[in-house]
Amino acid sequence: MSDRRIGVYICHCGGNISDYVDVERVREAVQNEPGVVVARTAMFTCSDATQQEIVQDIKERNLDGLVVASCSPKLHLFTFRNAARRAGLNPYQYTQVNIREQCSWTHTDDRDGATEKAIRLIRAGIARTILTEPLEPIIIDTVPKVLVAGGGIAGLRAAIGMADIGISVFLIEKSPAVGGWIGRLEKMYPHGRNGRQLIDKLVDEVKKRENITLFTNAELVEKSGNIGDFNVKIRVSGQGDKKDDITANVGSIIIATGFDSYQPGAGEYGYGIDGVITLPEFKELLDSSDGIPARNGKAIKDVVYIYCVGSRQQPDRENPNLYCSRYCCNAAVHASLLLAEKNPKSHQYHLFRDVRTYGRYELLYSQSREAGSTYLRFGEDDPPAVERCSGGKIKVTVKDLLTFGEEVEIKADIVVLVTGMVPRKNGELVDVLKLPVGRDRFFNEIHPKLRPVETVVDGVFICGACQGPKNSAESVASALAAVTQSASILKKGYVELDPLMASVNPQLCDWCDECVKVCPYSAIEKGEEQGKEVARINKTGCKGCGGCVPVCPREAIDLKGYTDAQIKSMIDGFLKETF
Amino acid sequence: MLVNPDFVDEVKRSEEFNASACMNCGVCTAVCPMGIELLPRKLFRYVLLGIKDRVLENVETIYSCLLCRMCEANCPAKVRIAENVRTLRYYINKKVFKL
Ligand SMILES: Cc1cc2nc3c(=O)[nH]c(=O)nc-3n(C[C@H](O)[C@H](O)[C@H](O)COP(=O)(O)OP(=O)(O)OC[C@H]3O[C@@H](n4cnc5c(N)ncnc54)[C@H](O)[C@@H]3O)c2cc1C
Ligand code: SF4
Ligand code: SF4
Repeated sequence: MSDRRIGVYICHCGGNISDYVDVERVREAVQNEPGVVVARTAMFTCSDATQQEIVQDIKERNLDGLVVASCSPKLHLFTFRNAARRAGLNPYQYTQVNIREQCSWTHTDDRDGATEKAIRLIRAGIARTILTEPLEPIIIDTVPKVLVAGGGIAGLRAAIGMADIGISVFLIEKSPAVGGWIGRLEKMYPHGRNGRQLIDKLVDEVKKRENITLFTNAELVEKSGNIGDFNVKIRVSGQGDKKDDITANVGSIIIATGFDSYQPGAGEYGYGIDGVITLPEFKELLDSSDGIPARNGKAIKDVVYIYCVGSRQQPDRENPNLYCSRYCCNAAVHASLLLAEKNPKSHQYHLFRDVRTYGRYELLYSQSREAGSTYLRFGEDDPPAVERCSGGKIKVTVKDLLTFGEEVEIKADIVVLVTGMVPRKNGELVDVLKLPVGRDRFFNEIHPKLRPVETVVDGVFICGACQGPKNSAESVASALAAVTQSASILKKGYVELDPLMASVNPQLCDWCDECVKVCPYSAIEKGEEQGKEVARINKTGCKGCGGCVPVCPREAIDLKGYTDAQIKSMIDGFLKETF
Repeated sequence: MLVNPDFVDEVKRSEEFNASACMNCGVCTAVCPMGIELLPRKLFRYVLLGIKDRVLENVETIYSCLLCRMCEANCPAKVRIAENVRTLRYYINKKVFKL
C-alpha cells in the first residue's frame, strides 16, 4: 500500500480516445490502485473547466501526485505541469500517460485490447508517480553575448540587430572578407539596388558598434556547455600556417553560413562547351561590362537560358536536389532585363519548366517579356540539348510545349545555365555543433511554421540561406527572427532546464570512468567527494538521455524522475493481471 | 525549325507588333467566327520565336481574318490582336508580294 494521495484524470478527447477505449471501464479499473484517492473522466481534460476541477481537487483533497491519461506529453505536458503548479503541487510530481497516439489511435480495430492497454499504461503512470519527489528546474544565468557564424547579408544583419539590443557579438567569417554572395553582386532584383554597396553599408554599421568583434578567416572549432552558457573556440588563420585559437563565452549561437551555387557536371546541358556558363558567371559578366556585354571580343546578342539546373531534379537520380531553389527564376529574369538594357538589340530565349516569379516578382517577368524576352517551356522528361556548332555559336534544340510541342532550334552566342542553390560543405561545423541536417542537406529548423529559426540544439539558431533557398530579403527577415529568439533568452537573464538528469551517488561510485565513455554530450567529469574521486555530472551538459545509467557496474547513477526504482515499479504496473 | 532572331525585328520594325503579353490561353481561337485555328495565338508564337517559314506557309490564313476584333474584345491579356494582324499583313505585302 502507499500513503500517497494521487488524482487520476482520464480523457475522452472528445471521442478521439473514448471511441476506441472504454474510459469508464478504465476508470473503474484504476480507481482502487494503491495511492489513488480520486479517479475521474473528462470530455476534454485540457479545457479550462477541467483544469479548474483538477486544481480544486489538488487543493481540497490535498493531493501529492497527479496523473493525466490523455494525448502525447508533446502537446500538453506543460499545460498540466502548470495546472499542478497553480494548485501548489510540485510539477515534477505529475505524470502524463499517452493513451491517444500510443493507444486509441493505434488500435482502432480492437476496442477491448485498447481498453486493456490503457489500463496497463495508466497503472504504470500511477506507479511512477508514487515514487516521484519534488524537483525544481535548474536555473542557469545566461551570458549576454552571442556568436554569429557567417558574414553574409544574414550574419551581418543579425550581428547589428543583436548589438543594438545590447548584446555583445562575436562575428566570425570563414573567408578573408565579409559579404557572402551579395557582396559580389551589382544591380539586384527587385529594386536595382547595388549588392556591394548594401554590404558596404552594413560593414560601416558593424564598425560603428563597439560591441561587435569581427574575425575574418575564422572558424568555430569547439563548443561545450549549454544554452545560455556556451564555451566556444574560434580558430583564426593568419599569414602562412599561423593559427590563433580564441576562446569565448557566449549565451547563444546564430548560424548564417549561407549556400553554394550548384556546379553543373561536365556535359550537363553542354557545360564545358565554350560559351555555356552558369548564372553567377553570367551575372558577373553583366556586372563587369560597362557597354555592351561581350564574350571573346564579340557582342552578346542571342542568349538562351536553361532554367532549373541543379534544382527540382528527377527523384531517380543519385542524391537528387528535389527542391526549387526559389531565387533563380527571379535572378535570371532580372539578368535578362539588365542585358536588354545594356544591349537593346539582344534576343533572349528562356527555356523554363515553370516560371516561379512569385509574389511581386511577377512584374519582373512581365517587364522582361515586354523587353523582348521569349519564353519556351520544356517538359521535365524532355530536356533541351546543347551542342557546339559552326561560327562560334551554340545550338540548343528544345521541344517547346508553348509552340504546340514543335521542335525548335536556337543558335545562341551564350547559354546561361540557371543554377540553383546547394548547401555549403560545412561538415566540421555540423560536427562541432551537432547541427541537424535535413534530407535536402540544408540545416533544419524545429518547426517550419511555428519555430522557423530554432534548432533541436537549444540555444543554437539558424538563418539565411544555410537553412534552404532564400533571397536576400528573406534571408534578412529570418536573421532578424533569429535575433528576436536569441535575445529573448539572453535578455531574460536566465534559462530554466528540466531537472530530469543523471545524478551520482558518491558513496557507491568508485570512478571507473565507464560512464564518461558513453555520454554523448561529454557531460561527465571527474569530481571529488570527501577526498574520494567520483563521477560528477555537469548540470548544464546533461540532457537526461540515461545512457550512463545501465553501464555503471556499481549502479551508482540514477536518472532523476526516472529512477531505477520507478522504472521497475512501472514494469510491475504494466504486468499486473487484474482487470 | 530554326529560330530566326532577326525576323521578329523585321516584323516589329513599326513598333506596332506586340504579342509578348499573350499567355496562350486560347480564348481568341474559341471565339473566332471564322474558326481560324491558327489565328492569332499560334501565329503570334511563330512570329515571336522568329519561325519565318511557318508564318509564310500561312499567308492565306492571315488574309482570311475579318479583323472583327471578337478575339481582341475577349483577350484577358489585352493583346492588340487586330493591330498585330495588320502589321503582319503590312510586312507580307512588302516582303512577299513586293507591293
Ligand atoms: C547569381 C546570384 C544572383 C542573386 N541575385 C539576387 C538578387 O538580385 N536579389 C536577391 O535578393 N538575392 C539574390 N541572390 C540570392 C542571395 O545571394 C542570397 O539570398 C544571400 O546571399 C543569402 O545570404 P546569406 O548570408 O544567408 O548567405 P551567403 O551570402 O552565402 O553568406 C554566407 C557567409 O558565411 C560564410 N561562411 C560559410 N561557412 C562558414 C563557417 N563555417 N564559418 C564562418 N563563416 C562561414 C561564407 O563565407 C559567407 O560569407 C542571388 C544569388 C546568386 C547566386
Ligand atoms: S544521462 Fe546522458 S547526458 Fe547525462 S550523463 Fe548520462 S549519458 Fe550523459
Ligand atoms: S486571347 Fe489573348 S492571351 Fe489568349 S491566346 Fe489569344 S492572344 Fe493570347
